[in-house]
Amino acid sequence: MVAALVAAACGSSGSSSGSGNSSGPITIGISVSLSGDFSGDGLATKQGYETWAAYQNAHGGILGRKIKLDILSDGSSPTQVVTNYQKLITVSHVNFVVGPYSTLLTKPASAIANRYGFVMIEGIGGGPSVFQQGLKNVFDVSASAKFQMITFAKWLAANHKPEKVAYASMTDPFLQPELDGARSYLTAHGFPSAVYKLYPLETTDYTPIASAIAASKAQVVVLGTMPPDGYAFIQDLIQDKYSPQVLAEASGPDQGAAFVKAVGASNTSGIMVPNTWFPGSTFYQNAAMVQLYLKMFGGTANNISADVAEAFSAGEVLTQAADHIKSTSNSKLESYLHSNVTFQSVQGPVKFLPDGENGAATPFMFQWQQGTLQDVLPAGVGSPKPVMAVKPAWGAGA
Amino acid sequence: MLVLQAIIDGVLVGGFYALMAGGLTLVFGVMEIVNFAQGILVVLGAYLSYALYSHLSIDPFLGLVITVPAMFLIGIAVYWSMIKPIKQERVIMSLLVMFAVGTVIEGVLDLIFTSNLVEIHTSYVNTSVSVGRLIFPDVYLFAFAMSILLLGGTYYLLYRTRFGRSLRATMQNPTAARLVGINTDWVSAFTLGIGVALAAAGGMVFGQTNSFDAASSYDLISRLLAIVILGGFGSLGGALIASILMLVIQDVVAVVWSPTWGQTTFYIVLVLVLLLRPQGLLGRKAVRAQ
Amino acid sequence: MTALDVTPVGAAAPEHIPYDLPKPVRWGGTSLVLVLLAAFPLLFPNPAVTSIGVFTMIFLVAACGWNIFSGYSGYISIGHAAYYGIGQYTVALVVLHLKVAAGWDSFELLPLAGLVAAVLAVPIGFLLLRVRKHTFIILTVAVMFILQLLAFNLTSWTNGSGGLELPFPTWTGSFFNEPFYYVGLAAAVVACVISWWVRGSKYGLGLLSIRDDEERARGLGIKATPTKLIAYAMSAFFVGIAGGLYVTFVGSVYPQFGFDPNFDLAVAVLVFVGGIGTLSGPVIGALLLIPLQQYFYLQFGNANLFLIAYGVLFILILRLLPGGIAPAVTQLWRRFLVARMLRAAEPPRPPGGDRATPAAATAAEGRDETP
Repeated sequence: MVAALVAAACGSSGSSSGSGNSSGPITIGISVSLSGDFSGDGLATKQGYETWAAYQNAHGGILGRKIKLDILSDGSSPTQVVTNYQKLITVSHVNFVVGPYSTLLTKPASAIANRYGFVMIEGIGGGPSVFQQGLKNVFDVSASAKFQMITFAKWLAANHKPEKVAYASMTDPFLQPELDGARSYLTAHGFPSAVYKLYPLETTDYTPIASAIAASKAQVVVLGTMPPDGYAFIQDLIQDKYSPQVLAEASGPDQGAAFVKAVGASNTSGIMVPNTWFPGSTFYQNAAMVQLYLKMFGGTANNISADVAEAFSAGEVLTQAADHIKSTSNSKLESYLHSNVTFQSVQGPVKFLPDGENGAATPFMFQWQQGTLQDVLPAGVGSPKPVMAVKPAWGAGA
Repeated sequence: MLVLQAIIDGVLVGGFYALMAGGLTLVFGVMEIVNFAQGILVVLGAYLSYALYSHLSIDPFLGLVITVPAMFLIGIAVYWSMIKPIKQERVIMSLLVMFAVGTVIEGVLDLIFTSNLVEIHTSYVNTSVSVGRLIFPDVYLFAFAMSILLLGGTYYLLYRTRFGRSLRATMQNPTAARLVGINTDWVSAFTLGIGVALAAAGGMVFGQTNSFDAASSYDLISRLLAIVILGGFGSLGGALIASILMLVIQDVVAVVWSPTWGQTTFYIVLVLVLLLRPQGLLGRKAVRAQ
Repeated sequence: MTALDVTPVGAAAPEHIPYDLPKPVRWGGTSLVLVLLAAFPLLFPNPAVTSIGVFTMIFLVAACGWNIFSGYSGYISIGHAAYYGIGQYTVALVVLHLKVAAGWDSFELLPLAGLVAAVLAVPIGFLLLRVRKHTFIILTVAVMFILQLLAFNLTSWTNGSGGLELPFPTWTGSFFNEPFYYVGLAAAVVACVISWWVRGSKYGLGLLSIRDDEERARGLGIKATPTKLIAYAMSAFFVGIAGGLYVTFVGSVYPQFGFDPNFDLAVAVLVFVGGIGTLSGPVIGALLLIPLQQYFYLQFGNANLFLIAYGVLFILILRLLPGGIAPAVTQLWRRFLVARMLRAAEPPRPPGGDRATPAAATAAEGRDETP
């Protein structure tokens, strides 16, 4: 073990800002969660990066050089993330690093990248705490938390007279700001909160909260959920024989076949979910990405997780920026990314605000209609279907 | 009304938690070992039921015919291979050994099933019975009935059979039991087997009412341990009362105040009870020295 | 006499068996380890390596502290993460509210973190130590989870699941880890010295006697509760410092990583592997297992195998070396001594026979001191 440490140490000679050689592959260092709390999404993130690397390598790589990914596993632990990125930067001498999965891990990762003068482009770390660090090297290509449900809130306020809304959310650094973003907008437009319940990550029994929502008789229910609680709430509401007219969840309904299986095909109709991406979108390189992903990993287009697209987008922005500055210098990259340029990605346009958020992000809103997830909002972007204004009763839709 | 519904929810869910906790308390009562792997064993039971259901379409409740004996045998095997060889400091060593065993099981489950969350979706997961304005979800009704049956059966085993006498004798005084000719090793092995078998049954319900993966065990084990301490080590009745109490407190607090305080309240209640009654609600009076 | 007895773990330690390695070996070994540790970042300046070093130091401080209580008193606590979290939050809150500058200034808060943890440990320990050992173990877990839940819920103080963020010191990349490492090393040395002092003191004797047989100790006039409580508070002090160091290094605190059950299990495992209740046990365990764990992750990536390997390794160690490594080393030494004694007791051979010294068998008896 000590020998291993010595070997690791001898493999390096102090630190540098990763210039590597000027020919040979461009190495990208990534830490992903292949086990632990974030492992499902971590795997999708890894696949997203791999799809991007494969795609880009078939199209000339970056600056004419092949892309090589150096991926480490962090077990969903910030401690490991700290060590991983230090190793990638100072031992493996990667040219660039991109972000891990989740706000929780992106925070320490970006701090370390900053220490060594590296840029951190990421797609899946959109909680406010990432941007509040005051770092200048973080760039989130996806819509950050508080904007995710704004499209929904705007639609509701424009199309409904003010009425009671029931809210519930996990106390998660991403989901809660997401829900609160919608809630502040709606409250400011006259929609009172009939219920506002926050629950911790380890909750396994949602029946009391669902009962409270049902008892409030609010016809609009907005939930800041991850998939497990997303499914559980729907099941509990069905058990309570309570069918609100509008139901939106932060995630769960975006899981494709898993969602249908969890709640039953006849119960999906009308449920809405935000997403930064969908397989059928016509944004930059999306069709190619979907095709390549299916070829590499199988499955169906509807089962592709949005994490894949988020990782792929991070890669796209890196490609475009590096090709433009014609250099692998991280400092030049940082200045360029901050220069108000608009980039293209499978999730739509990307333009960075000073704190690193994507100001041009378009969070979409999707709705289950007749057994498929359809893009419905914002009207006028892409080719959305009309919104189903009232959710059918449980068991009626399919 | 909401509170009444919360109480009903708590009682129903508490019923099946009692299954999982019952196994834990029994094992501790007889062998003085803390089965730290109980959480992951519940998850294992859930995965077994899940595999039977999704590949062979065997209804989870019926599938118990397979999973329960299988897990019973696993419990016996674990006893002989892991617990029996411990010679010193059984309490602490067994805790660590079971923790290690649990880690290995978790790793294997993670390898086989990956970390995708799964859930057993039977047709009766969404249906419910309504009485007036109160809702009784079907799956919990079945589970509650099953728990009472299984716990009742175990109780019968403990108090009406010869094996049960041997078990209780071992619980009270292992040395004396051995002197009377009771094979305490087999009694212990069987007890662990029963504990694990109960975990299998609880796991089946757990798998239907929660999305789970291998990492779900951590939260579970801490709750089960809390229930067992509250109920009193070695007492099945205590486990039942404590489970129901825990879930009712949690649900009522969630409804009346906030879900984030539900679990905290329970733990605080636990500490308070233990200050007044260190042996738990129905536990035996503890011998002070160790 | 069976010199091949399994070394007791935390239970009654037979008093008259000579355990010790000779003093020069012990002192020499300790000095060597100290020198190596001090030189480590100079020999291996690579930040990835020193990063592992910092985490090793953090766990070393925590392990030594934990061992002072759980090792010497026999009351195993797997809820010391309560104090890890308290240490983390103390430092985080003070830094944020009093605007303490990151870097050298924030290290001054470490003793404060330890102190707050120790002060809170007194009432907690007082409540917990009223129950018997088995219940105690699990109650420690319950208390830890209560604190975790409080951290999640008292959002106006702790920001709940959003956690608290600390500013980072502006040291340059390759140097950054080193101050943390040395501060951690200093804290670890202090922890070990205190541990050594406790072991050799009259107070420590009382503590160890509680481990061996509490009723008898009470009968002999030892005030069990204050004795245990003092050790409990001391252990909380060091674990709190470890928490403070962690939060200044990683830069953020979250409820689930402050009050982290994995921390408890990791500390227990590494102290057990090294040898619980011994002086060098925590050191051996920490220096061995923490780098190993991080290295596993770096090399094998796939952490499913890591869990399995870790679990199997632990089972093997529990089976083969139930006392841990340090007692196993002393076991070997004793066997060597006994072998020497037996050889010396044989009728003298014609010229050239061994001249073993029976004096080896009279190594200090009484308290078992392993280096």
